[in-house]
Amino acid sequence: MEEKKLTQQESLELISKMIKETHTNIEKGGGNIFLLWGYLWLVVALVVYTAILQTGDYRAQWLWFAMPIIGYPSMYFMLKRQEKMAVTFVSKTISKIWIVMGTCALLLSLFMLINPAAFPILFVMALIINAGVALSGLVLEYKIISVVGFIGILLSFALLMIPGINKILVFAIFPIIMLIIPGHILNSARNV
Amino acid sequence: MFKELDPLLHSQLRLAIMSLLISLAQADFVFLKEKTNSTSGNLSVQLDKLSEAGYIKIEKGYKGKKPRTTCQITPLGRKAFENYLEALKTYF
Repeated sequence: MEEKKLTQQESLELISKMIKETHTNIEKGGGNIFLLWGYLWLVVALVVYTAILQTGDYRAQWLWFAMPIIGYPSMYFMLKRQEKMAVTFVSKTISKIWIVMGTCALLLSLFMLINPAAFPILFVMALIINAGVALSGLVLEYKIISVVGFIGILLSFALLMIPGINKILVFAIFPIIMLIIPGHILNSARNV
Repeated sequence: MFKELDPLLHSQLRLAIMSLLISLAQADFVFLKEKTNSTSGNLSVQLDKLSEAGYIKIEKGYKGKKPRTTCQITPLGRKAFENYLEALKTYF
């Protein structure tokens, strides 16, 4: 681009063209974070369920801590590796939503160390994460993601009604609908 | 009655930079260079002019071992861009 004076018409066209350029600049990596947490959640939930089923020992619940132990460092390195050439206001807002949701989830799981019976942890976790998914969908104006988020919020209440360890099996289905499918949708939309 | 257009913004490259930054929270030098299709030298000069006027904030740092320059529009720059658009409307 040369350094030249513009006519008024050219100015308008240039402004319009540049603003459109920022709209087509969908950032890389949004879907990958969904996939990281989705698959991690699925695997850990199945491992905990199987361990309790096989051994009958509820201390297997300690394995839930594999999620923050593996998830947070992995997310940190994933974000660090991303080449973010431009940050949109939308992506900045979504990051902040997940910082708040992630902090709540971490503090709630740490509180379980003090009082494991304080609240129904699976329900609370599902509610927080699904609220994050719904908010992300609304901010992104991505209908499918908002819809699965709201379905997730609704389904979270099922965890209050299901007895015993079957609750964990239901909890394992959540990430498939709420994180893994939206993650793949986001990544495929980005590659169009 | 035509309003005078801000001479700092009424140039192709500077207006392109401001139009990109108005819609972004921040953008780095490489992104601006690609989108404006400009040379590093020219872009650098125009960014300095916008920064001296207080329209943009430039931060120089490192990403790993690579130097990285990021730019973001300031409230003054946002206001100047809005005024420019208002002035532009009087010509149509």
